[in-house]
Amino acid sequence: MNSASGPSRRLMLKGSRVVISLAIGLAFLFPLYIAFVTSMDTAAHVFVYPPHLIPDFNFHPYVRVWHMGRWMMYFRNTVFIAFTTIVIALTTSVFGAYALSFFQFKGRNVVFMLVLLVLMVPSEALLIPNYVILHEMNLLNTLWAQILPFGGSVYGVFLLRQFFLSMPQAYWDAARIDGASHLRFLWSIALPQAKSALFTIALYIFIGSWNSFQWPLIVTVSHNVQPLEVEVSRLMLAHSVAWRRLSAAGIMTTMPLVILFLFIQRHIIRGVSRGEGINE
Amino acid sequence: MLPMFAFLLVFTYLPAGVSLVLGFFHYHLLGVNTTFGGLSDFKEAVSYSVFWIALKNTLLYALYMIPTTIILAVAIAVLIDQKSRFYGMIRTFVLLPYITPVIATSIGWLWMFNPQYGVLNAVLHALHLPTSQWLLSPSMAMPSVALYTLWHGLGFNVVIVLSALSNIPRQVLEAAAIDGASAWTRFRKIMLPLLSPTLFFLVIVTTIATLQAFSQVYALSGGQGGPEYATTTLLLLIYQTAFQYFHFSYAASMAILLVLLILGLTLVQNWISKRWVFYQ
Repeated sequence: MNSASGPSRRLMLKGSRVVISLAIGLAFLFPLYIAFVTSMDTAAHVFVYPPHLIPDFNFHPYVRVWHMGRWMMYFRNTVFIAFTTIVIALTTSVFGAYALSFFQFKGRNVVFMLVLLVLMVPSEALLIPNYVILHEMNLLNTLWAQILPFGGSVYGVFLLRQFFLSMPQAYWDAARIDGASHLRFLWSIALPQAKSALFTIALYIFIGSWNSFQWPLIVTVSHNVQPLEVEVSRLMLAHSVAWRRLSAAGIMTTMPLVILFLFIQRHIIRGVSRGEGINE
Repeated sequence: MLPMFAFLLVFTYLPAGVSLVLGFFHYHLLGVNTTFGGLSDFKEAVSYSVFWIALKNTLLYALYMIPTTIILAVAIAVLIDQKSRFYGMIRTFVLLPYITPVIATSIGWLWMFNPQYGVLNAVLHALHLPTSQWLLSPSMAMPSVALYTLWHGLGFNVVIVLSALSNIPRQVLEAAAIDGASAWTRFRKIMLPLLSPTLFFLVIVTTIATLQAFSQVYALSGGQGGPEYATTTLLLLIYQTAFQYFHFSYAASMAILLVLLILGLTLVQNWISKRWVFYQ
């Protein structure tokens, strides 16, 4: 196509690439936009044909969602579950990965293989047995039921182990000579350098936890321990035609992640490029 | 390292074992009269007609999803594989849905699918095309779910293809262009073979994800899997059996069959890939 084409043809190709790309990009934004518009519609603009596409900036539906349920409570639960999971999973990953890279012991590779083996167990195989185990531990219908099963992160162990193994052995030798213990070395030398890896792991755990639905749906029945996604699904069943309120609830659940994404998308794109999916 | 293992042990190794045991025993949450049932729960599982409907739905869904995901991901990635802020922005738009919560964002889609007031029918109508009942029609319900899932997950695939494209040496493509190879020939003979390991990875990941479809089906069918079982996937059926009807052993048997299905399909794909995936 290069041989016969003049500059005008190339310009046209370039132009159509821009136009098609823009159309695709906007098509992906549109479902979020329509929820945003609907959530702010005045009553007269909901059931209209053709659909109403310009926001009215009427915040009434948001106020109603806020007062209808105990929105703040679900929000608190969601945040508490996400952050506690991050703290526990990061702690276990750090110690696990540290032991697997700085300690020499018999069967180290076997242990690491056992960890990787977990990746091959599909989550639905664990659904019912984990429920039974939580039942036996008397933990069903608690916040902890939504945290503890995610307290060990294979992805975290894997990523941190890679990082620790890439650290020069000389660092440890030097620290040893200065009389540092393993804990001291880990805290003052190894972890500060692993900041970026820790951040990526925390980010993935946060998004996965915020978006998790199936597990909370299964292990909780009381409203006061449930996260936003479960509350939103209940609203959908109970108020199936209250589109403005439903959209407002949807937007309020989605917005924190969209804002987070816009700030840290570089990290997410780097993670996804490595083929890391978010577990939901 | 021990704490990490404690979590993995309790919530992964133990349940994996329990899962197998549950399939063979009749387990009662509230009693102690767990009895050995041998293969009877498996027999019951395969003799239940909804199981076969769910299996058919799940496989059909995978059949819709796999080719469209791969083809669209490659098409969009090739289109926006340009170095500029504009195309970076388009990539952001395409990836954004991937990090959003499924239940919350399916509200906007439910509204778009609305046969009377929804945007989709409005667009079809404006183009003088036949409109659809979407989620209310037994034949269109599963494709509608697929449409939602494509919107939600395609960005992940696009970003992975983009990162694979960035690894293709530009000189090779330029040399081919100088030798007179058309854009299509360069795509077909150079890019596609070099992308094939990535595409194979995406086929596997998409297969596993579609066989595990749950949240989007739950949200878009109001937790029912309807109309007329049209969107009852295997995982939704397992959920209903275990947590709405409390037939735990029976659900565990179905979960084991699902895991075997995933494993089997992955092995088949692995075998096929040896014939056409080009590894450098």
